[in-house]
Parts: sequence; C-alpha cells; structure tokens
Amino acid sequence: MAKISQLHKLLTEKEISSRELTEKYIEAIERDNKELGAYVHLSFDEALSAADAVDAKIASGEEIHPLAGIPMTLKDNMSTKGIETTCCSKILSGYKPIYDATVWTSLKEKGAVLLGKTNMDEFAMGSSCETSCYGAAKNPRNTKFVAGGSSGGGASAVGGNLAVYALGSDTGGSIRQPASFCGIVGLKPTYGAVSRFGLVAYASSLDQIGPMTTSVEDAALVFDNIAGFDKMDSTSNPDFKADTFKNLNNDISGKTIGVAKEYLEGLRPEVLKATEEALRTFESLGAKIVYFDMPALKFALPVYYILACAEASSNLGRYDGIRYGYKAEVYESVHDMVCKTRSEGFGDEVKRRILLGTYVLSAGYYDAYYKKAQNLRGAIVAAFNKAFECCDVMLAPVAPHTAFELGKAISDPIETYQSDICTVPVNIAGLPAISLPCGVAEDGMPIGMQLIGNKFTESTILNFAYKFEQATNLMKSADWGVKL
Amino acid sequence: MITKEDIENIALLSKLFVPEEELDALREDMQGIIDFADTINNADIEGVEFDNIAGLSNQFREDVVVESLSVEEILKNAPDQAQDHFLVRKRA
Amino acid sequence: MKYELVAGFETHIELATKTKIFCSCTTEFGGDPNTHCCPVCIGLPGTLPKLNRKVVDYAIMAGLATNCEIARVSKMDRKNYCYPDLPKAYQISQFDKPLCEHGYVELSTGKKIRLARIHIEEDAGKLIHKKGDTYVDYNRGGVPLIEIVSEPDIRSIDEAKEYVEKLQQVMRYIGISDCKMQEGSMRCDVNISVRPVGSDTFGTRTEIKNMNSITNIAKAMEYEFERQCDLLESGGKVIQETLRYDDATGETSSMRGKEDAHDYRYFRDPDLVTILLTDEEIEAVKNSLPELPTEKAKRYVEEFAITDKDAQNLTKYRRISEYFDKASEGLKNPKTVANFMIGQIFSRLATEADKEIFDIKTTPEQLRELVKLIEDGKIKNNLAKTTLDKMLESGKGAMDFISEDDMGGVDEGALTEFCKAAIEANPNAVADYKGGKEKALMALLGNVMKQSRGKADAAQVTAKLKELIG
Repeated sequence: MAKISQLHKLLTEKEISSRELTEKYIEAIERDNKELGAYVHLSFDEALSAADAVDAKIASGEEIHPLAGIPMTLKDNMSTKGIETTCCSKILSGYKPIYDATVWTSLKEKGAVLLGKTNMDEFAMGSSCETSCYGAAKNPRNTKFVAGGSSGGGASAVGGNLAVYALGSDTGGSIRQPASFCGIVGLKPTYGAVSRFGLVAYASSLDQIGPMTTSVEDAALVFDNIAGFDKMDSTSNPDFKADTFKNLNNDISGKTIGVAKEYLEGLRPEVLKATEEALRTFESLGAKIVYFDMPALKFALPVYYILACAEASSNLGRYDGIRYGYKAEVYESVHDMVCKTRSEGFGDEVKRRILLGTYVLSAGYYDAYYKKAQNLRGAIVAAFNKAFECCDVMLAPVAPHTAFELGKAISDPIETYQSDICTVPVNIAGLPAISLPCGVAEDGMPIGMQLIGNKFTESTILNFAYKFEQATNLMKSADWGVKL
Repeated sequence: MITKEDIENIALLSKLFVPEEELDALREDMQGIIDFADTINNADIEGVEFDNIAGLSNQFREDVVVESLSVEEILKNAPDQAQDHFLVRKRA
Repeated sequence: MKYELVAGFETHIELATKTKIFCSCTTEFGGDPNTHCCPVCIGLPGTLPKLNRKVVDYAIMAGLATNCEIARVSKMDRKNYCYPDLPKAYQISQFDKPLCEHGYVELSTGKKIRLARIHIEEDAGKLIHKKGDTYVDYNRGGVPLIEIVSEPDIRSIDEAKEYVEKLQQVMRYIGISDCKMQEGSMRCDVNISVRPVGSDTFGTRTEIKNMNSITNIAKAMEYEFERQCDLLESGGKVIQETLRYDDATGETSSMRGKEDAHDYRYFRDPDLVTILLTDEEIEAVKNSLPELPTEKAKRYVEEFAITDKDAQNLTKYRRISEYFDKASEGLKNPKTVANFMIGQIFSRLATEADKEIFDIKTTPEQLRELVKLIEDGKIKNNLAKTTLDKMLESGKGAMDFISEDDMGGVDEGALTEFCKAAIEANPNAVADYKGGKEKALMALLGNVMKQSRGKADAAQVTAKLKELIG
C-alpha cells in the first residue's frame, strides 16, 4: 500500500514508469476482479495512453503533477466521455457519455490514469453494493463479506490494491460506510466543495463526490485536486479553496472533540468499544472530549429517506428510453414504451425509492412529508451549528455494525435503512466527514469511525484523522491486487 | 393507510408498471416505509425554515453563446433515431 | 338566459436572450433539428442547470412594464411530468415565489386586467408526429420563457384581443421578445367560463390551447362561449378540461387522455440557488426601460396637441415612436412631423408588419431638417410634401431637391401676377366664387401654387385672390 507521494517519487526518479505501474494494475485487475467484482467497466487502452503521455513528460524532463501517472478509478456514476457510465443499472446499459464530469476533467488534465469504472448499488441506492445490476463488489478482507455501499466497488478496488485511489460519491454514507467496511479512508466533503457536474444525480441536495484512499495523506492530496469552484455547478462554492495537504500534522492538543450521545445508541458492542478506544487515543494526543445530546438526530433517518427519495423520483424521471440507455423492445405506444422501459430497466430498490419519492411529493402529502422533512432538515442543521460552538470536530461511528456477509442484507427495507443511521446526518447538514479505520472486529472485519467537521473545515478533520492514523497502525493491506 | 389505488396512482405518476400480482406485496412494503417516514410527524422538536444546503444565492451565467454539439454527438446514445431526430416508433 | 363571458389568460413568451435559460446554446429560431443542443439541454445524466442572468433581468423588465411588484427573494422549482419533449421529465419553473406579482395591463377603456404573476421557466422541445411515429427535436428545449398569468378579468372577446395586443406591444417595446405568435414565441392559453349576467360567482372553466393568432383566439373564444352557453341552456354541465382549438374546423376538442393523470409534484430545484434582488438592482432595470406606449401616447396628446388616434398610431410600434421622437427633437411643432408620418410615410407601408419594421429610406434627421425649413418659413407646406416624396424614394436629403431660389419665397409683385393669371385662366371658378361658393377659390389657389412651384404662402394667396376678385 504505497502512498501517492511515494509513487510520485518512484515515477519522477524513473524507478518505475507510469506504463509499468499501470500494467501491474491491469494485470492484477485481470486476475482478481472476477473474485472482487470491483470494476464494472474497464478502460485499459485509455489508461495506457494516459500513462504513456505522463512517461513522455517525465522523459522530456518536464515536471509532473503529484497525481500524474497514478492509476485510479471512478465510481460508475461519474460521466466519462466515451467510457460506459451506467450507475450499475440496466436502464443505462451501453450509455457512453459525450461529456466528462468536472472532477474527471480536472484529474485527466493532471495526468490521472483511469483504469475503469467501479461497482456501486444501482443509482447509489443501497448500503451493500448488492443492488448493482452487475452483482455485488466483495470485501477484499474476506470475499464472503460485502464491500458496503453504495461506493462498494471503489472500496473494494482500493482496499484490494486494484487502484491507488478511487472517487466515490456519498449521499447518505456511500463513501464512508464502504470505506469503513473495507478498512480504508473515505472523505465526504462539504456540500459545494467538489463539483457535482457530471455526477449522475441520486439526491441532488445530498450528493457529494470524494476520495477513497489507503491513507489520510492521499485523501488530502486527492481532495485538494478535485475541490474548488465550478461554474457549471450553481451549488459549488465560489469562495472555497482546498489546501488541506499542507496542513496535515498540526498539533491537536487542547482541541475539543464533541460526541453526540445519540450516535452511540444501538451499536454492536465491539463498535462501541472501538469508538471509545479512539476517543482515548485522541485524549492521549491532548484533545478534550465533550459529550452532548442532539435530539434532532433521532429524526435524521426518516428525514433523509423522504428527501433523498423525493429528489430521486424527480432525478430519475428522465430515463425514458428516448435519448440514451435501455429501451423496451416491445410496446404499444410512447407511454407504454416509457413505462415498460422503466419497469424493465430499474431494479426493485430503485423502484421502491421512486415510488416513495413520488408519494411524499404528491398532492395531499407534500406538507406532511416533504415540507415537514425540510423543516426538520433545518433543525438538524441548527443542531450541528450549535454543536460546533463547543467543539472543533465531532467523532462518531460510521455504522452500528461491521461488514456483513453477502446475501445477509436484511430483506426488510426499513431494517436495511437503519444501518445508515450514523452517516446520513452529515449529508443532511451538508458537512464534511472522514471515515477511517479504528479497530477490527472479532470476525476480522474492520471497524471505522468518522470525524465530522463544520462546513469547509476539511483541513481540520483531515488533520485530526492524520494524527490518529500516525498514532495507531490499523491500515492493513489485503492479499489482493498489486504488491508494491 | 396507503391503498392499492394509491399505489396504482403513484406508479402511474412514476411511469412504472406494477403487475397485478405484485400489488399486495408492494402495498405492504410501501406501508412499512411510509409508517417509518411518518415518525417525523411525531417529532418533539421544533422545525426550522430551510433554504438551500449550499447556502448560496445569485449564481448566474452570462448570456454568451457557446457553440452547440453536432447532431451526431447529440444522437450518439439514442436507442432509435431518424432524420436527425430522436425517434419513438408507433409500436415495436 | 343571457350569459356573460369570463376569461383569463396564461401567456407564454419566449425571451429574446442570446442563449438558453440554463445552458449556453443559442436560442435562434429554426436551425436544423437537434443542432442547438448540448448535454445540459438534452438532460444527459449528471448535467446541471446554470441560470442566465439576462433571463432574470428580462422578466423584471416585463414585470415593471406591467406594473408588477418584483420579488426580492425568489427561487426555482421543478414541475414534474413525463413527456418526450421534456428531456429531464421535469420543467424548471417557479411555483410559489414568482419573480413578479400583482400587476395589470390597462386597456384603452381604462379598464385594468390584473396580472396574478409573471414567472420564468424553460421551454420544451418539439414533437413531430408522422404516421404514428414520434420525432423529437430539442432545439427549443431550454429556451427561456416568461409565463404571464392574468386574473379572470376579461369579459368580452374585444377585451381579450386588446389584452393580447397590449401585451405584445409592451413586450416588443421593452425589447424582451418578438412575440411572434406564428413562430410560437408568444403562445396563449385561455381559461373560459360563462355565467348568467349579473351573477358574481364563477362557472366551471375550460382551458383552450393551441391558438396561433389573435384571430384564432377570438374565434376559439367565440366558439367556446357559444358551446358553454348552449350546454347550460340545455341543462348540461361544463366539464373542467383542457381543449385544443382546431384552426381548420374552428372547433375545440378535448385534449388529454387518461394516461396523463396530472400531479406536478412541485418542489424546489436543489440544483439552483436562491435569487436575491436588491432595490438598487430593480431600480437600475426600471431606469433602463424605455417610455412605455401608453404613457407615451398620453404625453403626445398633452404636449403636442396630437389627436388621440394619431398618438395611438405613432406609439403602436417602438420603431415608429422612436422615429417620431427623433424627428421631432428641437422642433416647435412636432405635430407637423406627426402629420407627415401618418399621411405620407404610412401610406407607403401596406401592412402592419411593414409598419412594425418601419424600414424607410429617409432618416429622422432628414425629416427634421425638412420640417425645420417649414418652421423657419423658408418653404411652404406644399413644397415640403412633394419634396418628402422625392426623399422617401431616394433616401436623399431635402436640400438635394430644394434650391436657394425655392426658399426665396414669392415677392408681392410676382404674387399679384400669379393671381391675375389664375383669375384669367379660370373664369368659371371666379363666377362660382362670386355666386357664393367659397370652395371655388381652391382651384385658383392651386393654380397659383403651381405657378409659384409651391413657394407661395397659401394664406397670402387667398387674401390676394379675394382682394383681386373683389
């Protein structure tokens, strides 16, 4: 598990060429992806020509960007020109976009090497990657276990050494939870820090792209290079400039970590224990811990599902078989074609969420559900604002449990939704949060924690995470993929 | 309580077909989810007016033309097309 | 029973911005199918809208020109419905916080048709149905629109026609739309109900769509009014529905099938942020507005003693009124300019469209120069008239046709000679005049003018003739 900065050094010192590095990853993907199911679309030709371009630069003595020549991957919901982008849904099968997502444009310009697109729950709706139309991505620590979701493919690829880093998206925990299940680092940035242009929308007011890496340092480096204002995204913040990499390893003694008691309810004992141990570690680094109540959090989960599904029902209306993607083969009229296309193209979970979203927005129910949920969203935002008056960061578990076995995802949708309880508040409030390993469960699966910051304080949470990472030694390499 | 008719209505609005034999199961599923959503209506906390999560206003674009894409690009992913148009045939 | 018509309008007007409302594609009319498109306006997954500032400005202009209050806080909402011409399956529009509210349009009778609101939204693409197949062209998709919603204040077809004409006139004046109904840049939906005269409750209304001219609006409304009256007379009930007007048959027919169960599920568009307007910004837009036709016509009547009818004619189209304003600048008597325009210039413009374009060879400065010559007493009206004709033909200035000699006027001696000659040549006219026919003098006057090549002063000539005839 080499860090990006180490690989960069190897490249610039010509210890290895980008092509050689890329070929190692290609070889490993060809060997291991069948088992891990991390990738769903491969772009090896594009990757090799990008690598060659970087090698040419190095050969000519040109300075290269820290991310140049580094093999990476994007979640399958980020638009990549000419490379299939399906959100792991049958309804987008064969869709090759004609434009690039802003994050991909900026990474491509810096010489990033895209190996392919990674697996996810269909349209990012799920917490185990099992709703993917390509089948689930598996946990590199133990392939009987889920990688988590929705960005399970990215977590599996990075945790399984099939990519140096991945970009995932996080609507209700979709970066942080798979990162914690697979024992890697995942950063969900502040809403508006990273452009959403080109990110296929699930829930527009909650979605945010972020890095999945094997170290806090890498997360900071990648974040700095994807964050920033994008004129194509009206919700992108015009004033924010990411400069986190330089600010790692600042002293945290005397700083305050807040813990909302609601986050500690209903946890598996080993998760609770690891969380408490993490707090002790921070105390040993000189941080103070404060506990408080945040009653508004009790409603975060239904608020999240109402808002996310409402937005999704609207965002997913466009898949009608006319402009792109799947189209029903047999139909009687335009209306019939659209209904058949959608009924055949969407999976059950997606349909369920579309129906719920339609319901909460429909005449007679809007006030009781959507509007009420918006007001509670306001209350949750206010509660976090208040919390950050008395602490610098908040610490919480990522999930009440660790990765579960494939196929064991509880069939009851409500119980499945419950597992998102620790992650959704951050999306509701638009805050940044980083997930990183803080322990290992009895079954050997990683336990994760999250550090939550106030808006646009990525630098602070990355610094705390970095300090923790240096103080512990929990990042473990899996037996898959490239060994460097 | 959500009825089968409600389900049929929201399915129509969502442009989804629900086969007759799946209606009951789906109704039950939806009832469960809606009961869960309903918990917000017992919230013992005060709601707060919410504007937009980005906290931004007045993000505008200037009125300057950028060349459009070619019709070939635009139609590239169309499942069916004819005469430079997206096409839905009468029946298939 | 006698019934009264009650109608309100929902008018969509395409704004004359260069680019679409949420992307940078051109709004130009026409163009080959799907050539004015990009990932944003065909709604590709992952694309996001970015609001065109000009659309907001134009909507504010429309609001101010129709006496609306402008919202200081506004936002964009999604109107969800699935139709092949709508690439995102929702239209970005405004629901509960429109940019403009509570305005009115004043008719010539002084009656005010109240406007409930004006909001901004995106247009849909175009569907072409051929042999049951559906062809989709998204060139028009994303073109900015304002929707102007009136209160049901209209009580007659004439009021309806004038309301639409007034809107058209004002929007063209302020330059935010060409309002061409044939090209679809102005589209009207009418809500109609009827009620017994004297009643103050509203009947069940129907909505008529698809009328592409003011004539058709009138015809459709007449048909629908009769239909509803007949229905009520025969004990039937009006069903609330959307109707399509068929130009060929002159009838309205029901439009929607049952598959279009409508519930738009409006909610705020999370991809767009709040629109905040300051008093200063609104004031700046206000100051940029040209003088509006109604005010202008009032001013012409009051300041220049122009008749009401002439004032209406001069203000109907912005180009004409601007021409008039420019030509009259610094003149003592703008009415002379008005007379030349309405008389000689208008007679060269056969259609309303010609008047609107107002493409004439003579510049307002040239016309001013000509009128100035009259005001300074250098030439007489008749000469000016013939000169203007020549100017309009050639585009040349007055001085190209008028010599120093022409401007010299006619001295007393010459005038007497001309008059004597005229009397001699027209004994019949002289006899008639003497017999009491005052008008007979005109023939003599004409003769003198001809001899003097228009230079003689008509009043002087008349006096001299009377003196000579005795």
